[in-house]
Formats: sequence, structure tokens, C-alpha cells
Amino acid sequence: MSYSRALTLAFFLGPAMTLVILFFVLPVIVTLYASFTDLRNWNIQRGLTEFVGTYNYEILGYMAFNNPKVKYAVITTIVFVAATLFINVVGGLTLAILTFFLEERVSTGYRLLWLLPRMTPVAVYSLLWYYFFHSSDLGTLNKVLLSLGLISEPIDWKLWHLPVGTWMILVFVNGLVGVSFGMIVFYSAIKSLPWEYIAAARVDGAGNLTLVRRIILPQLRWHLVFVTVWQLLSLLTTYAHIFLLYQWGTIDRLWGQTWSLFVFTTAFLGDQRQGLAAAAATVLVAIGAVLGLITLRIMGFQRLVTRPRGEL
Amino acid sequence: MAQELAHAGISWRLKLVIALALLLASTPVLMTYTMLMLSSFSKEIVTDPLLRDFEPTLENWVIFLTGQLTYAAAGLRYNVVELVASTAIVALGVALVATVSSMLAAYSLSRMDFKGRRVTLAGLILLHAFPGVAMIIGVYIIYIALGNLTGLQGSVAYTMLYVILARAALEVPMATWLFKGFFDKIPWEIEWSALVDGASRITVWRKILVPMIKPGIAAVLIFTFLAGWEEFVYLWVFLKPRGVDSLPTFIDEVVASAEYYQLTIVAAAGTFYLLPTIIFFIVTQRLLLEAYSGGLKG
Amino acid sequence: MAGATQNRTLLIAGAVVVVLIILIAGYFLFAGGGEQPAEAPAQEEQPAAGQQQEQATGGQEGVAPQLPQLTGDVRTDIVNIARYLEANGVTEVKFRVHGAGDPNSIHRVYGIVEAAARLNKILEEEGLQLRIVIEDKKFSAKADEPAEVFLQSFPQRQEADIIAVSYRWISTFAEEGYILDLTPYVEAYKNTELADYYESLMNAVTYKGRVYALPQDTEARPLYILKPVMACLGYDAWEIAQKVDAGEYTWYDIFRIAKEAVDQGCSEWGVIHRKGTAHPDLVQFYYAFGGEFTGEDPEKLYLYVDALYKWLSVEYALARNGLTPENMLEWDWYKQIHPTIVSAKTAFDIGGIWYWTEWQTKDYYLDPQTGERRPLTAEEVYEKFAYSLFPAGEPGKSPVTLSQPFAFMISANAGKLNPDYEKLKDAYHMIAFLLVVKANDPDLNAIHSIVSSHLPIREKSAQLMNDQEFIQKLASGNLDFILDPEARDAFAELSVKTANPINIEFLSKVSYMLNYTNVPPLHWAYQPLAEFFKEAVDFVLKGQMTPEEATQYVLDQIRADPELAQAIEIVGEIPQGWTFP
Repeated sequence: MSYSRALTLAFFLGPAMTLVILFFVLPVIVTLYASFTDLRNWNIQRGLTEFVGTYNYEILGYMAFNNPKVKYAVITTIVFVAATLFINVVGGLTLAILTFFLEERVSTGYRLLWLLPRMTPVAVYSLLWYYFFHSSDLGTLNKVLLSLGLISEPIDWKLWHLPVGTWMILVFVNGLVGVSFGMIVFYSAIKSLPWEYIAAARVDGAGNLTLVRRIILPQLRWHLVFVTVWQLLSLLTTYAHIFLLYQWGTIDRLWGQTWSLFVFTTAFLGDQRQGLAAAAATVLVAIGAVLGLITLRIMGFQRLVTRPRGEL
Repeated sequence: MAQELAHAGISWRLKLVIALALLLASTPVLMTYTMLMLSSFSKEIVTDPLLRDFEPTLENWVIFLTGQLTYAAAGLRYNVVELVASTAIVALGVALVATVSSMLAAYSLSRMDFKGRRVTLAGLILLHAFPGVAMIIGVYIIYIALGNLTGLQGSVAYTMLYVILARAALEVPMATWLFKGFFDKIPWEIEWSALVDGASRITVWRKILVPMIKPGIAAVLIFTFLAGWEEFVYLWVFLKPRGVDSLPTFIDEVVASAEYYQLTIVAAAGTFYLLPTIIFFIVTQRLLLEAYSGGLKG
Repeated sequence: MAGATQNRTLLIAGAVVVVLIILIAGYFLFAGGGEQPAEAPAQEEQPAAGQQQEQATGGQEGVAPQLPQLTGDVRTDIVNIARYLEANGVTEVKFRVHGAGDPNSIHRVYGIVEAAARLNKILEEEGLQLRIVIEDKKFSAKADEPAEVFLQSFPQRQEADIIAVSYRWISTFAEEGYILDLTPYVEAYKNTELADYYESLMNAVTYKGRVYALPQDTEARPLYILKPVMACLGYDAWEIAQKVDAGEYTWYDIFRIAKEAVDQGCSEWGVIHRKGTAHPDLVQFYYAFGGEFTGEDPEKLYLYVDALYKWLSVEYALARNGLTPENMLEWDWYKQIHPTIVSAKTAFDIGGIWYWTEWQTKDYYLDPQTGERRPLTAEEVYEKFAYSLFPAGEPGKSPVTLSQPFAFMISANAGKLNPDYEKLKDAYHMIAFLLVVKANDPDLNAIHSIVSSHLPIREKSAQLMNDQEFIQKLASGNLDFILDPEARDAFAELSVKTANPINIEFLSKVSYMLNYTNVPPLHWAYQPLAEFFKEAVDFVLKGQMTPEEATQYVLDQIRADPELAQAIEIVGEIPQGWTFP
């Protein structure tokens, strides 16, 4: 590679690479490092030089079985990720197929509407559901059910058959955000189906259901797997909405905490034990890395990196 | 094409049923957004879908916009300009940094063959899938260390810049893929002749390619702006301890101490905060949808 | 050719940078600045001794006066410090202050602002150049906000210099070396300005024998007895209050009366209490049943299992009998808790003394005549409520109350915004201390107590609250004794609304409670423990756990964390055969 070529490459790739190294690669290393120290109260000077070996991991392992907070966090994470994933994939698929059948203008409207939660500022979006699930008759859900005569007293949703109520809120709120991802992937996949397939099916007199079952769904096999793994990964690491609902008491403090929220609250609130939180984060990163590699496999990586037609 | 063919066999009745079913499913979303906006103009929080608790007033907006926080109107105030400015600067900064760096990177990934290209591409996908927000502890430690190292610790500019860069980094993988898609679509022959004539890559990129992907740039700018605008965690973690408040941290704080404060004022803040998102949504709907699906197709 | 393109490359790259810089510069123009010159970073735990040596030698070299020692007289001290600083070329000293709390507690910020004005006046009178500037005054809605922000921003040296937060943060901050040890300063002032501070409050800000803060205000948490409900039952509310204060009535009696009230339809609920930050409030039960947190070993936190169990048993019985809502800890303050109390829909309420004025400022009351929501008048509050100490748990125990003083703390890096910090920091620290001392001037502390319905932290303020002339001034909004115009306007607006004889009488009447008060311990393990308490209370109220299970839950939580298990000494066990009611 000649000097000027290297320079050109640095010009193009440099800024993005710097960002990636500074804010993805380095933090992983630093987090790993911090997980072996007794960093507390952000006392960096003192904390980062106090090595405690694998103490944080041991504590974490111990807590996972004995401390309700951590134990419930593990259970909640599994339930939350599984349930939300299901809703996101099935919901996204349903939305994609239904909007596909509609006139373009109506379809666009609906797809936009379902994209709105994802684009809404986190604080505002959480605020909406704070009012919606409020435990008194102030809450919209209670108000509706009361006026329909379905319940006689306002229900405190987060405690409703605890932990089911809290989980429902978690899944609902995050599901609405995630559903648009599947919808958009599936919709564009369906749209780009070879029209011959559909024409042939129609000529054969296929009804709508047959069309969906025989033509559309089989073609979406890979997209389904892709969306599933991708969403799995982001659900494991998401916590912004949950954090606000947790702060505001819309979900149960004990049962509403997922693993990633546990990492965040341990580092930035209450205990302020960044060493311990770093250990918990490292576990998350490890799981994420494995899932990420699987994603790459599924996406048929080879297909994406064909040599560019850009060299002289 | 496929869509028209699919439509051919659908009766208008079925379409109506589907449209209505979707409308029903969308009701909670529509309802909550509407009620939030109405609450900001009401004496009491509007949580009744039939809007029976709506009592019009402008007071909430007056209180929010004048920044009154204590009962003494003459007393301490929060700075509304600061709330809006900090939120907007982060969003604009994220949009700019993410767009420019991705546009550069995407070109080289689309057109140039170099050692490590495969790894880079694979890495981008991995990073896109793995939200960097999980690494916030590491990002925060680096923030302190870097600040101490450079002696910049303490300047608002440093914190702002760091937040912008850190948050923009999260958008880089996605935006790069988006741009790569746009560059890939441009026929190679267009720049080939220019390159043969001896123009440099950078010149070609700037003079020929960038003008051709203007819609793409607009889409990514909007997209990354909205991503920066909706951010909460980074503002809470970095800006707040530095004494810079923003719209989301303000909302969080007041709702968390709802014991003393009126939620209708938060509704005004929330509505205000939501406005740019809604406006961009309505103005650029198609662009946004396309950009989004473009990025995801990868 | 290649060179030209590279130039262009640089140009583009430069342009990106410039745009960013413009953006950020724009921010400063917008937000009115706030950037500080970057000080020499970090190395915060520099040995102080080295600094002093440096100063000592520095002082000998020139004619410059040496760093003065505090004498205990504000005027002398500020003048000495000012001379010293001026000799070092400093004419302006800047501080940042951060306070938080209910919207009437503006003293937590304006107290310091006014203190600066008062010190500046002295300096002006003495013909000195030096001025103290409070360059950033921040007030947050959430009470713990200044502390949380402080904790995170201290390592970056961006913390506020003076914060007003709950005293309970002292242990964490002191252990990390984040706040200034005020012991030598307090020593100098203990016979002058600090002589009339309440002893219990000075103890509350002492940690491991060192004083780390000065109290700012305090409160007590009485039992409010609803007169209309008692009248409906044929009881005299004040008589009940007296019996509670005398220790004759215990929680058994309160439970009985509450149940009567609900059974006979005199009220909807029996006992309403606080939520959310429930631990400081509800832990009164623990004290009322004879619980303690301290013991032989000062390094340890003690937990008396029987007191905890009895506390949870009362909560459990209250909820099971429908006297306290099962979801009490999730009730909405604005829509549920306060309206229930002010509409006399409960027989008792465990609240705070600040409720008294809060009910007069917020529209919690739904007027049955007009159907409108409005605040109560002072007369109405007076008519509706009797109050007493928190009742003893069972016969043989004493009634209690609980205080959680707010305190002014000074950052270990206080004054860092000022020139030549490493050399002059002791002087800056002293000024910060004097600011806090002046913020607690009797008149300021008294006006704060009155407008925010807190108890004063020193006797002189309490005396002032009985001074008719002073009260007249507050009622008329004529606060000529406040020098800072902004603070004066804000206080005037509040004091006109709140300086009501009924309210001030209430405050002076409840001051006796400070003699019964408990202050939860300054031990790092108290916060996690209090968190477990809160969860346990929630569980028993909802019936998810029996008192036994919930007690066991707390113990399990402690044992689950090896560090907590080591720090907390568990005393006794669940009593056998003890029942409530």
C-alpha cells in the first residue's frame, strides 16, 4: 500500500474507527479491568488500584443464588427477554403482513405510527406509560376498566399477581418499541419478493391465507431468524425505559430489574459499587459477543463482503 | 410489483377489516400520546380516554417556560434555555459527527479493497447489534481518565464533546451501513473516468459521490438527530453531574419527586420535548421509513 | 496534485472541527458561560501537610500576611482572610452551591447567597476589595439529587462547593474523603456562633468523632390525630395525644381506636403513613419497640430482630384489618395520601411537621360545598388536627420521634474555582465554612423554619420565632434584614403566605419533640438495611409475606451480602408468643 493510499484510507476510515475504538473497544477492556478492582463511589484514584482478584465475580455468583435482588434479576431477565422477543417477532410479522395488504398510503401511515415509540424521547415515552399504568384511578388503564365495570377498585398493576403484573408492564412497554424493528425488516423483505412467485400463486387461484402461508412465510425464514437473534441481543442490553419506570415506581423494584438495569443501578445509584457492576457488565458482554457471532453467521456474512468494484 | 399483485386478490371489505383491526391495535398508542399533549393544557392530568377530566388552562406552559421550580415565583429557577440548548446541542452534534464519519467510512467500505475490510465489516455488524450503552461504566471511566490526562476535566465543552462523540459512536455502525447501501447503488463507472483522469479519491468522493447521495445524507442526518434527541442515559450520566440539565433529566427528576410537584407541568415539558420528533415524523415520513429499512437490510 | 488534495483533505477535516467548536461556543453564549479554567487536575488526596509547609515558607519570604487562624468571631476572621487573600492578589472568591427539597426550602440555596451578601457587607465596611460571589446556585426537586450529583462529580472536581443534603450522606462522603473535616473550625466557633446549636443535631453531624457538617434544619414526625374522626367516636383528640406523649397509650390503643373508627364508619382508613422514602419515617416503629442501631462496637450496625418483627407485625395487622391500604407505599401523594388526610378519611396519620403548611399551600382538599379543590386555611388545619409523638410500641416502651437533619457540607475541594487554589485552599475552605455559619444566622434559620415548616437548629432561632416584632415583619413581607435582593424577594413572597400565628405556634409547640428524637445512624450499612426495611414493609402490607417471613427476608438479605453480614450485628430473634393486636 502506497503512502498516499494509506493516507486516503485514513481520511475515510479514520474518524469512524477512532470513535469505534474509543467508545466500543476501549470501554470493554476498561470494564473488564474494573471488574477485578474494588471501585466504589467513583473514587477512581483509589478504586482502580485496589485489586480484589475475582472477588466481584464470586460475590455475584453468590448473590445470584442467595440475594433476592440478583436472583430475581436473573429470572426477570429470562422471562422479559423471552416474552418480549416473542411479541416483537410475531407482532412485527403480523404488522408487516397486514400492512402489506393495505393500500400504500394507509400502510405508510400505520407503519409510521408503529415506528413512533422507537423514535419518541425515552423520557417522554416512559412518562406516557407512567400515567397509563398508574396504580390509582388516575391511571388510564384503571379508569377504562372501571368505567367499563370490569373492575370495582383500581388495580395496582405492578403488584397484580406479582411478579406477573410487573412483567406485563415491562413486556408491553418494551414490546411496543421493539415491534417496529421486525415490522420494518419483514415488510421490506416481503416487498422485495420476486413478483413472479406471487403472480404464479394468484394464477393458481391462491387465497390470501394460502399466499401468506405458502409463499410469504417460507421466504421469510432467514429474516425470522435474523430478527430473533438481533432482538435477543438488544433486549438483553436495553434498560433506559425500564430505568425510568423503576425510578418512578411504575414497576416493582425487586421484580422489575433486569440484568442490564442491575448493572446500571449498581454503578450509578444506591450501592455505587462500580467494581461489582463491571463484573456484571462483563458477563453481559460475553453473552452478547456469542450472540453477535451467531448473528453474523446467520446473516450470511460472506454474501455481504464481496470484493467491491472500486479498485483501479 | 409484488404488492400490486398481492392486492389484486383482496376485496375492499377485507382491507377495511384489516385497517380497522390495526386501528384498534394502535388505539392505546394514539390515546396516550394525545392525552399527554392535552394534559399539558389542563389543570389536572388527563388520563380519561373520554377526556372528561380535561380542564383547559395555559398555566402549565407558563410555569414550565418561565422555569419556575419553587413556590416563590421570585425565587430560584431552572434555566429552560439550558434544558433545550443542551438537549439540542447533543442531538445536533450526534447527527453531525455520526453522519460525517459514517459517510467517510462507508465510501471506503463500498469502493476500496484493503486488508482488514472484512473484519471491519463484520465488526460493524457486531457493534450495531450490540448496544454500546451496556458498556457505560467503561465509557465513564475513560471519560474521567481522559479528562484528567488532558487537563480538560471540568470544562463543559469537554463534557459536551465527549457525550456527543460517545453517543454518536453508537450510531456509527448503523449509519455506515446505511451509507454503504447508498454508495453501492451508484454505478462504479461514474467515478471511474474521473479516477482515470487522475483525480484523487477524496476529490471524487466530494465532488461526484456526495452530491449524488444527498437524499441519503438528509435521511441519516434526521435519523441520527432523532437518536440523539431521544437520548436519556448519556445525558443523565455525563451532563447532569456536570451541572448541565436537559429536558429528559428534568422530566425524570420532577416525576421522581412527584410528591411536591405537579405532573401537568411535566406534561408540558414532555409535549415540548416531543414536538421536534413529531414534526420530523410528519415532514419526512417516507424518507425515514426507507432509511430505516435500508439500514436494517444490511 | 496530490499535495493539493491533501490540503483539501485537511481543510475538510478542519471544517468539521470548526463546526463542532462553533456549536460548543454557541452553547456558552446561550447558557451564559459556566466554563471554568481547567485547574491542575486530580491528585486530590495530596498530603495537606506538604501544602501547609509550602505556605509557611511562602509567608516568610514576603511581606504577605500569613494564613490566619479562625478566632470564633466572624468579622475578625473574614477580615483576616480577606487581607491574606488580597495580599495574594485575589479579589474575588467564587463558590457553587446546590440544594434541594420541597419548593419552600429555598434557604438551602439562598441561605448561602445571603451569607455571602452579609460577609461582603462586612468586607465593604472594612474597606476591603475582596468579594464573595455565589456564581452557581442550583436547586433541585429531588432531595437526594445534590448528594448523588456530588458523589459522581467529585472525582472530576466538578462538584458544588457547598451542598445542603440529608446528614445521612456524611458517612459515605467522609469515608471517601470527599467532604471537609470541619472539626478545627467548629472548635474555634463552638463557644460563639455554634454555642446555641442543639446538641442532638451536632451529634448527628459527627462521624467517628469528627464534625463533617453543620445542621441546616430538622423536623419531627408526629402522629396526627384527626379531630373530626375522634369527635365522631366520642373521644377527645387532645386527650389521646396527651396519653400518647405520656406513654400511656401505645400502638395497641392506636390500633384499637383506628379499628373502631373504621368499623363505626367514622373514617375510611385507620392509619395512613408515608411512602417512597419510607425508611426514615417508618423506622420510628423500630425505635418505638425499643430497637437500637448502635452498640458496643462503633464499627458495627446493630439490628434488634424483635423490634423489627414487632414493627412488621403492626404493619401487617393494620393492612389485614383494612386500616391501612395494602398498597400504601404506592399511593400517590397528590391524589391519594394528602386528600385522604385533609378530608378526614383516616383516623391517624404518621406524617411530618412540614405537612402542617403543605396542607395550606397545595390544593389537596376537595371542598364538599363548592366541589372545588383548594388548600386548607390555617384555621381549618388547626381545627382538624391534634398531634402527638409517635406512640410507644407496647406498654413499658416510650414514645419517640425521628429527625433527619439536613446539613450543609463543604467539599474537600471547596473553592477550587479560584486562583492559586493549591496554595490558598485553606483560606477558601475557611470562607466556605463562614458562609455556612452565616447561613445559619438566627434570623435566616428562623425564617426558613417558618416558611418551610421545619424546626430550627439553634436556640436563638427558636427564641426569634416567639418574637412578635420579627413575626410581624415576616407577615408583612418587610424583610429589610435580608441583604441580597433576589433572596429577599423570594423569602418575602413565601413568608407573607406562611407567617401565620397558628403555624408559628405549631412549630414552637412541636419543638419539645426534639427531646425525644432519634437520629438514624451514620453507618454505610444503614442505607442498604433501610432499603430492606422498606421492601419488608411493602411485603407485609400487601400480605405477600407474614411478619415472620418478612423479618427472615431482611435477615436473608443481610446474610446474602458477605460485606453486610460482617457489618451488621444481628441481635436476638423473633419473639415467641408475642401477638399484635
